[in-house]
Amino acid sequence: MTNEAAYWITLAHIPGWGYAKINSLIVRFSQEYNLSIGAFFQLPETDWQALYGLEQKDIDDLNTAKTELPNNAFLAEQLENEGYELIPVTSPDYSTTLKANLKLTHAPVLLYIKGNKQILQEKSVAIVGSRNASDVSLLFTDNIARKVTKDFKVIVSGFAKGVDKQALDSAIKYIGQSIIVLPQGIMTFDTGFKTYYKQIVDGDILVVSTFHPRAPWKVELAMARNSIIYGLADEIYVAESSDKGGTWSGVIDGLRKKRKIYVRRPEPTEYTANELLIEKGALPVDFTGTRILDESAILAKERDTEYEKKILELLKTGEYTAKDILKRLEIDWSDNKLREFLKAQKEIETINKKPLRYRGKQQTLFD
Amino acid sequence: MNRQEAEVVLHNRFQLSRFYDEQWSTIEKLLDGERVLLIEKTGFGKSLCFQFPAILFSGITVVFSPLIALMRDQAKRLSSLGIPAKCINSEQTKEENSEIITEAKEGKIKILYIAPERQENQEWMEATREINLSMVVVDEAHCISVWGHDFRPAFRRIIKLVQLLPKGLPVLATTATATLRVQRDIEQQMGGNLSVIRGNLMRDSFRLFVVKVNSEDEKLIWLGKNLEKLPGTGLLYTGTRMNTEIYSKWLEHLHISSIGYNAGLDVESRIAIEDGLMNNEWKCVISTNALGMGIDKPDIRFIIHTQLPQSPIHYYQEIGRAGRDGEPAYIILFYHPDDISLPLAFIEGGRPTVPKYEKVIRAIKNEMLGEKDLMRKTNLKKTQVRVIKADLVEQNIIREVTSGGKKKFEYITGAPALNTKVFEELRASKTHDLEKMLEYIDTTESRMKYLCSYLGDESNQTFNNCDNTGQKKIKMIVTPEWEERLRDFRENYFPEINAETKETCLVKGIAASFYGFSNVGAAIHRSKYEGGGEFPDFLVSQTLKAFRHRFGQESFDLMLYVPPTVSGDLVKTFAEKIAQALRIPLSHELKKQRLTSEQKVFENHYLKHDNVADAFIYESPDEISGKNILLIDDIYDSGATVKEIGRYLTHLGAASLAPLIIARTVGGDLHDE
Repeated sequence: MTNEAAYWITLAHIPGWGYAKINSLIVRFSQEYNLSIGAFFQLPETDWQALYGLEQKDIDDLNTAKTELPNNAFLAEQLENEGYELIPVTSPDYSTTLKANLKLTHAPVLLYIKGNKQILQEKSVAIVGSRNASDVSLLFTDNIARKVTKDFKVIVSGFAKGVDKQALDSAIKYIGQSIIVLPQGIMTFDTGFKTYYKQIVDGDILVVSTFHPRAPWKVELAMARNSIIYGLADEIYVAESSDKGGTWSGVIDGLRKKRKIYVRRPEPTEYTANELLIEKGALPVDFTGTRILDESAILAKERDTEYEKKILELLKTGEYTAKDILKRLEIDWSDNKLREFLKAQKEIETINKKPLRYRGKQQTLFD
Repeated sequence: MNRQEAEVVLHNRFQLSRFYDEQWSTIEKLLDGERVLLIEKTGFGKSLCFQFPAILFSGITVVFSPLIALMRDQAKRLSSLGIPAKCINSEQTKEENSEIITEAKEGKIKILYIAPERQENQEWMEATREINLSMVVVDEAHCISVWGHDFRPAFRRIIKLVQLLPKGLPVLATTATATLRVQRDIEQQMGGNLSVIRGNLMRDSFRLFVVKVNSEDEKLIWLGKNLEKLPGTGLLYTGTRMNTEIYSKWLEHLHISSIGYNAGLDVESRIAIEDGLMNNEWKCVISTNALGMGIDKPDIRFIIHTQLPQSPIHYYQEIGRAGRDGEPAYIILFYHPDDISLPLAFIEGGRPTVPKYEKVIRAIKNEMLGEKDLMRKTNLKKTQVRVIKADLVEQNIIREVTSGGKKKFEYITGAPALNTKVFEELRASKTHDLEKMLEYIDTTESRMKYLCSYLGDESNQTFNNCDNTGQKKIKMIVTPEWEERLRDFRENYFPEINAETKETCLVKGIAASFYGFSNVGAAIHRSKYEGGGEFPDFLVSQTLKAFRHRFGQESFDLMLYVPPTVSGDLVKTFAEKIAQALRIPLSHELKKQRLTSEQKVFENHYLKHDNVADAFIYESPDEISGKNILLIDDIYDSGATVKEIGRYLTHLGAASLAPLIIARTVGGDLHDE
């Protein structure tokens, strides 16, 4: 892979091409045609058109990108010289959690990292919250960090002021491992690398960026990297959120994707939107990070989650009607509830027969 | 484009009529976007192999070369042919280099020569985002191999770059000196799809001689007698800078037109000598092997080595520059069995001891450090630090990064432990190479054949171009007359003390001798460390002689001496004798105001400087103001002490300060090669 770095950098940052488009292309050339990225770039235009169904606009984009390959070779050499590593989505070193959470549509094509990449394979927890967090929130963050570190889980944060910074500092205090997800290109993090030199050398901090290595901080990048933080984590703890902004939209998005998100139940005197998030489906925890159980609601939710897992498993084995599913798995849902659920699943396809049948989609690179 | 069409273009643009077959094979491949390793002897015309395709490509061709003189000459020649070629290197000003980088971005340059170290330059790295690159050339490609004779770490990055370049972008690597082992190493590093074109390395214009002598004196005498009998202009290589100075002064003493060159000279001086050499201004240029590697002079008529090179391949490269025009060139190697101690010292002492490596590793593990800070924290010499850091980078234990615009070293997460076995292997390999050099000296067979087969060039050709195969052997005849002349020279030769800086009133001074030359060093050591009493009279008379040689009738208002650290009154007593002889008033008022350690404890000049900074005091400054002062000391090494005194006395208003020293050492890490 190292010698293909220039190709990866070129592909990952083609202007106007989103992750979904690029990842689809990657799946095709690497899985379907078993080509390296270098070989793909060397194909004649006719192949791009005939075998990959690319339109003229796409072909023009690729040709333009090809002219930048030598320039990106210089960049790649500089990156390697300065100790940065590139992990493309096809690499075994790519975080499986990230891939599972963001899937083909949103998983970043290329990760730029520095530090101990083994950290990407460990169980991880994100701690997020406002930049202007209250002291209570910061204390909460510290509590979570302590708890998480004891379990040898990795703490993922965004290096922003407030909760992010606290999460990182606490992780270091408790000698745990952490991932810093940058809102900017990895080559712009000079002071950070100096500050955290020891921890990086000792293998306790991994710095990650998904943006062009020289991209300066921008509000759009800060927003975009929030989904990466969520993607890299198995569990998410929210210290404090207002009803708009990065933290809020991150949680809403995560809830929609059925992520496990724990939100701190605030004191009655606090001005936060934490309670709103709990109403929308986030799981409440107390100041120490312990689950606050609302018995029946919790149980019902947990049971549903169990059922959902079973349904997806079943549908991997063949096609079934809604009635079949309910009967086989002994689930007490209504037909409607089941159909709503199935419709919302991207990995399930509907087969037009009478009655309708459902089946799990085939995918290999992205589950 | 076929060969005929190409040769038309060749004629129009380069004023040459046709290609050699190997040239055309190479060019064809490059035009097809392939990668080629071209191994051809000096003078073959390797440059044309990239210059020609470069003018046909739409973008820029970047040529990585470590030879500044060569890139300068080539760029000049191409410009005169109307081909826009420029070079970027450390001899040019920052503004010049910036200007050229801008032109490259604007597409105004066709061929750009760059030193590999330039990869570390921010401005260049940013420019690489925008240039339209058509081809990459790696000159002196043997520099990427540790098994070669001239490994340069900066080339590692160039090779990495080549590995990352897209397929279809042509790459040419060239060298004139690669053994088969080095060739294979280059092939392996440059990766797949590499064609190798290798020509024969025989140089039939050479006349090879080896002269065994009984002493260093015999070398000096032979040169004195015979140098002017050799045709044309040539080079004389010595093993050390001290010898460069000595040989140069010896020839000067005999009124033989010559000039000394070393890498410590400032840029203007170096360029002046390189230009003078091109114009045959002197009979002979004397240098360590730093010179000549990049000189593109076609008519070097002789190359003489007074010191055994480290291996036949070093020798082959060092003599390679001679007789490029095809006319006979005299290649002479002097040998005395003691000469082996110098290359052996490089091999044995080439690497510092393992504890020093570990000191460096510990320091860097603890914090990111630049070279200066590393030297301070570990108390190691600059050369030691450089060797250690190069090895640690090689072994992927540390890496060099840019932090805050400065170069620093950082420890690589999860790095392996230090591999000392590879040092052993390299040492064994180098020792083996040195033995091969001795074989060359002792062989009774054809010398040319020996060199060629060492390089991997097997041919059945017979040669008769050396003193074993038909050329008359050189005889060494010493007459009393010449011995007398040499003695006369020794007693009248005095090394200069160049301590002047812009901020002080220090002027050029003089020493009675080099520390290691004649018995001066031994006498000093005996007095200082073996309780041998005062410095002996012959040191006084030699120093007075030196004074007269340098200062003649100049008058001085006052004499001072450097106050001692441990050697008691030796320098004071010595200064008293000198002051009496020269009738200059002597003051004892220059004192130390704080304790300093002996300078010799400190291995590098940063610490030596720190050691003496603000250490001196003179009670009555009005005695200093406006005066021309003579400063006495026994040894001049890094010059930190003298410079600090210079700074202090300038501050007190002294008009001038001239150092008069007994012995000058050759080390002093301000002037490392």
